[in-house]
Amino acid sequence: MKKPKFINKKWLVILVIALVLVTFSFLDEQKSIAARTIVLALSLDIVDDEYEVGIQVLKLDKSEKQEFLTYFAKGDKLSDIIEHLSYDTGSTVALCHATVLIIGQDVLNKDDNKAMSYFFEGEVLCNNTMVVTSVQSPREVLSPTLSNGVGSGYYLGQVLHNMVGDFGIIPITVKDYFKNKYHIGSCVYLPCVSLEKEGETTFLDITKSYVSDGTKGVILSENATKGLSLTLNKISNGTLPYHYEDSVGELDIVKSKGDIKIEKDSNTAKLQIKATLKDNTYVPEKINEELCMEYVSNEIKSYIEECFYQCKDAGLDVFYIGQRAYAYGNEIYKDPSYLDKIELEIEVKAKMK
Amino acid sequence: MQNKLNNKIYTEQFLLLAFISLITFKVVMLPQYLVKTAGSQSYMTMFFMIAIELMMLCVVYGITKNGSILQLDIPKWLKGIFAILVFSSSLIKSTVLGSEGVSYISTSLYANVSWSFVMLALMIVCLYLAHKGGKVLGRTVQIFFWILIFALVFYAVFSNSNFDIINLMPFKISSDLAVAGDKYLMWFGDFTPLLFMSVQPSSNRKKSTLAIWIAIAVIAALICTVGLMIEFICIFGASGEIVGNAFLNVSSLNKISFMIGSVDLPTVISWLIMCVIKFSLLLFAMAECAKFFFGNKAIVSLACGIIVYAIVVYGIGNLKACYNLATGWLRYFVLAAEFGVTIVAYIAMRVSQKRNQSISQSANNQGEVYEKA
Repeated sequence: MKKPKFINKKWLVILVIALVLVTFSFLDEQKSIAARTIVLALSLDIVDDEYEVGIQVLKLDKSEKQEFLTYFAKGDKLSDIIEHLSYDTGSTVALCHATVLIIGQDVLNKDDNKAMSYFFEGEVLCNNTMVVTSVQSPREVLSPTLSNGVGSGYYLGQVLHNMVGDFGIIPITVKDYFKNKYHIGSCVYLPCVSLEKEGETTFLDITKSYVSDGTKGVILSENATKGLSLTLNKISNGTLPYHYEDSVGELDIVKSKGDIKIEKDSNTAKLQIKATLKDNTYVPEKINEELCMEYVSNEIKSYIEECFYQCKDAGLDVFYIGQRAYAYGNEIYKDPSYLDKIELEIEVKAKMK
Repeated sequence: MQNKLNNKIYTEQFLLLAFISLITFKVVMLPQYLVKTAGSQSYMTMFFMIAIELMMLCVVYGITKNGSILQLDIPKWLKGIFAILVFSSSLIKSTVLGSEGVSYISTSLYANVSWSFVMLALMIVCLYLAHKGGKVLGRTVQIFFWILIFALVFYAVFSNSNFDIINLMPFKISSDLAVAGDKYLMWFGDFTPLLFMSVQPSSNRKKSTLAIWIAIAVIAALICTVGLMIEFICIFGASGEIVGNAFLNVSSLNKISFMIGSVDLPTVISWLIMCVIKFSLLLFAMAECAKFFFGNKAIVSLACGIIVYAIVVYGIGNLKACYNLATGWLRYFVLAAEFGVTIVAYIAMRVSQKRNQSISQSANNQGEVYEKA
């Protein structure tokens, strides 16, 4: 005799799926995007021995007019500050979409990475979030609306993401910040933003950079930053000036890459820059390629030397030579004063496309 | 009889199940733990352990070709011992790996969701798959295989990870590699649940096609484990020791995330599917062992699920406790059970085959003698 069936198998499967969905719907703490404050940019500083966090959000009114609002809160614990900001904004603050984090120089040199670890290890920020520091306080850089009507924090994030391969700019993500922090020497480099005013115009200058090892730091000039980007970044955009005899002009950088090696029993780090350049207004009889390349190579060398020696004088291993020595089996990195003993030999291999 | 049919799978399904079983939990927290212990050379530990696991999978295939471990012509008391050992090791593994999976879901996909809700949702699905048997698991993995392929292709096309090969250097073999291999044994040796399958060759496949699929599966397993480990170290360097959820963090770095927001969804979905399959496989092994003693009843599977649920939610409850449990002495028991059962089962199967062969040969000889007489 056939057993009576209480429930069809198909319906049972549907019931199980429904049960799963209902179970998930019970999950607490889940709020819709409308009930969240999406942060576009944020700042972090230490003021009076307390953390100060700022957030920039976009508010759209009924006429679809954009308004960039900034909120600030202070406290001992970052989690408490974010909760406070949620209270101020009226909805849960979501930091995972922030494009840029502006950190104060005190955070870089006095905080022992506690705040940064909170953002990175806790996966509060996304890996692609850019990190910058500023000449003025982070609060001053985050708050204003620029002359183009865009909030400065948001604008900064957009610009940096679009300038990853640009000559003279050194965008760095939270992920790379920590990767560098874990290298021998613990040096991190990041753009140093400055809010400038010219008459009625307010704009951001991102041509300088800042290098820190967690206890001390140094601001690099525009030329030194160019040297830094040539050495550590893969460049695919930018121009290099040339000037010889009566000829003056600019060459486009098609691509450029630096490579540092240090042999096993050597105190000399060899840096090789390979660059492919192009002159858009190239007229063969009007340009002396040899002299032009010589000038450009010397310029590149001067940028890099300025960067290296400025950092070396401050005791900062900006080119991660200690890490490279370790990688190539050179034990010089074990000497606490290894940076003083290392010499840099620069070779530029530039060619015209 | 019904149970025997339920666990019959094709060789392709076995390959897919073995592939998922091998990689699922080696790409989440393990890379972080390995980097913490063995530094930038830790990918060598991963390679060594994966190579051993692949070799053991060949032994498992050799057994399952002749039927499930519980169908083999070996003494019942030996089957009982196997069932107890596999039940215990699968119970420990399902609680440790289940906790890791639940932790991943509750922290990466949601903001601080209670483990009990996530575990409940996961358990219902996995328990259903586990109770239905190997055939359903094999079919499920075949259906979702294309999502995995899509996720891998999507990642390969849009990946934008800034590789720094210098992070892998210097190439040296140190004692830390052995220490890491020993400490994280719990994450290796994921093959005993497959022993309960009965593999049959697909009728419409040639032997050469199968060989190609096996080669692809082995290469894919190496790319997804050792390759991911190398990529993880190249991207994060020594800071990898503070980066959990390796699979998610590596896939979040892509060219279009800035344009259209987070695009790691395909990889998240594909990993969740693998997590469900892997967790179901462990529950399936537990249920099969329990059914050996208590009969083929749904209540037996349900009891297994309740035990795992209670341990994960009320016993472990957080990732730190899970780590402590996984790196404790229990790892040696699990490893001994996984390897011991597989090797002894293979030897027992060969002995029984030889004995049957000699019996049938002597029977044939006797028959010939009678015929002559």
